[in-house]
Parts: sequence; structure tokens; C-alpha cells
Amino acid sequence: MRLDTEFMWETFLDVLHGVPVTLKLTIITLLVSAPIAFFMALSRSGEGRIGRRIITAYVSFIRGTPVVLQILFLYSLLPTALNYLIKVLLGLDFNIFNINPIVYAYTVFILNTMAVLSEVFRSALSTVNHGQMEAALSIGLTKRQAYLRIIIPQALTAALPNICNTAVSLLKSTSLAFMMTVKDITAIAKIDASFGYNYLEAYLVIFFVYILLCTLVQLVFHVLERNVASYKKLITA
Amino acid sequence: MLEVKNVQKSFGANQVLKGVDLKVEKGDIIVILGPSGSGKTTFLRCLNFLERADQGSMDFEDIHTELKSASKATVNKVRKKTAFVFQNYNLFQNKTALENVMEGLVIARKVPKKEAEEIAKKALDKVGLSDRYDYYPSQLSGGQQQRVGIARAIAVNPEVLLFDEPTSALDPELIGEVLAVMKKLAEEGATMIVVTHEMSFAQEVATKVIFMDGGVVVEEGSAEDIFTHPKEERTSQFLHRVLRDYDYVI
Repeated sequence: MRLDTEFMWETFLDVLHGVPVTLKLTIITLLVSAPIAFFMALSRSGEGRIGRRIITAYVSFIRGTPVVLQILFLYSLLPTALNYLIKVLLGLDFNIFNINPIVYAYTVFILNTMAVLSEVFRSALSTVNHGQMEAALSIGLTKRQAYLRIIIPQALTAALPNICNTAVSLLKSTSLAFMMTVKDITAIAKIDASFGYNYLEAYLVIFFVYILLCTLVQLVFHVLERNVASYKKLITA
Repeated sequence: MLEVKNVQKSFGANQVLKGVDLKVEKGDIIVILGPSGSGKTTFLRCLNFLERADQGSMDFEDIHTELKSASKATVNKVRKKTAFVFQNYNLFQNKTALENVMEGLVIARKVPKKEAEEIAKKALDKVGLSDRYDYYPSQLSGGQQQRVGIARAIAVNPEVLLFDEPTSALDPELIGEVLAVMKKLAEEGATMIVVTHEMSFAQEVATKVIFMDGGVVVEEGSAEDIFTHPKEERTSQFLHRVLRDYDYVI
């Protein structure tokens, strides 16, 4: 068997159009989830009992179900149910099937990433010993100031390697967006391949593209880690 | 200047403080002694609202409040009049020695940065760290870290300095440098409440010694009274046990 290199090159060029979609899915998801996840982590370590229970339940639900299943549920079942609700029960003239499928992709990935990141932040917050909070309060800082100036900078530094992990695995999960007809890297490769059954070549190409993208993400975080934690560098030095 | 009455505090079913009173005058060096679990640290933390007492009242210059129901504003006011030195230093790990000391000035008290830096440098000089301004806590020894902790506390010019076993986490070799700084502060007229196991410090520096056990003040008096002729059986038992350590020479 011979690899069709010409097809591979063409597919590669085609797939490049999907790169912005994949990156957008990754970056926007991260940017939206991170602040919410942070507050989830804070309230989980805080006093509110009800809030903590709800968040704990949410996190274990998300972590306890496969992403594929969540996509199937959210993309296939939920719209039908919502459509029924809107049209029949509320009598509104709104076609839920007209929504851009990328909205579903964002929803699934944000729901997932929020759960994962909230755990990342929770463990990161616990690496900053409570004594520093007390010290901040004892010299007259408010709790908010203590969080912003003392606790969060250290927690974020501690969280960076895990955020990088999350980002990389999110980037890879976005390949499931093809299930929701989003034209990302994987979807484009599959479409290209289906014309002449060149699946092997197409998959090899996106293999390479994903490795490239993930390496890029890791590089970015590597630079971040080096620059953010000047005080930590001294510890390891 | 500062008076608290009937301070009570329980953790669950365990009543740690069973009604402690304390009166502090300006310039007092009050040393609180007692076995572990006697409630001395908890008492000190209640004074600064790091621990919320279940009962008790506080008169602190112009502040009159119940400890349990003190408002956020009152708590903040008390905290601005006091400063706390912790057993484990609790320095801000992401800030240099100088930044650690400046934080309370610039952020909590809105002192202009330039001025704050000068005050902070003076405070660090006072504790003998004029060559360590830009060091991070992780680059300092335990004794140096605790001295930064003290500088951070004195920089905000508090009415009362609270020390919670400031030397307990230190190597014997490093204890001396911290005690020397504390002694210097005492000589300069600072008002201090010190929880410690350093008997020699208590003997030399304290204007008043309080012996606590089981959540109550068993006995209080001048250092000489307490150390040479304690009235209570429990006090002499305790002193006998801890002072014996220093009795023999190897």
C-alpha cells in the first residue's frame, strides 16, 4: 500500500482552515470557564453549605460521564425536548434547530472545563497555607485584598502546570466537535477522506497537526511558568 | 488602654477559654505562660479576631465592643491598632522582605509608596535585616523570616504587638536573634503581649506574667513574684517542670 502524498498535502492545506475553529473552541472555552471555575473553587472552600453541595454534585456528574455521552445528550436529545417546550408549551415561534451547532460545542466544552478547572483551582488554593491569609488580615487587609494580592497569585502559579494539562486535553477533546457538525480540524479531515476513502492519510495528517498544536500550547505555558513565578524560581534554584 | 473581660471560646464541645480577663497599660510587656492546650494562643487570637470568641467584651481606647458581635468595621479598626507575629512567620511567599513589610502600609493604610518604603526599610533595619530587603522568604533562614515577621508587625505602628510563640518553630541557635529584637522593642517602650515558652525572656523583660491553665488565668503577677514565689500549686508545678530543664549543666 502506498500513501497518497498529494492527497495528504491537499488535506493538510484544507485542515489548516479548521485550525482557527479548534483554537477558538479551546481558547474561548478556557477564558469563559476559568473565572467561573475559580469562583466555584472559592465557594467550595468557603462556608456556604448549599452552594458547596451543588458544586460538588455538578463536578462529580460531569466527571462521571463520558464527554461523548454529554455531546449526544446535549446535541441530539436536548434540542428536541427544548423544541417541544418552546413550540408546544410556550407557543413561541423560535426554531431551536437553527442555532449554530458551535453553540452546542461551546456549551459542552465549557460545562466540562469548568468542572475540571474548579478542581484544579481548589487544589491550587489549598497549596497556599491559611496562615498567609491570617497574616494579611492581621495587618489590616480585607479578605478580598488578601485573596487578590497574596492568595490568588500564588494559587495561580501553583495551578499553571495543571491548567496546561487541562488546556491540552481540552484541545484534543474539541476533535469531538465533528459530532455536532462543527467544521474543526477533525471534521474537515473526515470529509476530505470520505471522497476517496483516504482515511489513513487524512488521520495521519491531523495526527501531525494536533501534535503541533499541543506542543504549541505547552510552549506557551512553559514560557508563562518561567515568567510568572519569579519567586518560585528562587526556591528551586 | 486595652481591657478584655470574660473571654470564652469553645471548639465544638471543647471549651478552650472559660472566662479570661486581661488589662493592658501602655508600655506593658505581658508574658502569658502555660502548658500546651491551656488556651493561651486561642486567647491571643481572639484579641485580633483571628478567632471569634463566643463571649466577652473589649475596651480598646475608643473602641467598646462585644467580641462575639463585633462588626466588620470594628474588627478592622482593632486589627489596625494591633499587629500579630505568628509562630510560623506566615510571610507572604510571593513578596520580598521589603514588600512583605510594605503591604500593610500601602494597601491597608494607604500610605504613599515612597513613604511606605522608607518606613519598611527602617523597620527591617531595626530587626537587623538591612542587607535582606529584596530576598524572598524562601531565601531566608527561620530566624530571619521571623524577624521580617516582626518588622511587618512594627511597621504599621500598632498600639499593641501580639506575639504567638514567636520562637517555637526556630532552631535553638536562631532563637537568640529573635528574642534580642523583641527585647529591644520592649526597651523602646512598645506594648506587647507575648505567648512563649522562653522563661528567660519572661524573667528578664516581662512587666507582668500570666500563668494560664485549662482555659483560665491561674495566677498573675510580676515576673519576680511568679518565678520566685508562686502562690498557686499549679503554677509552681509547671515552673518546676520547665525550669528544671535549665538546672543542669552538661
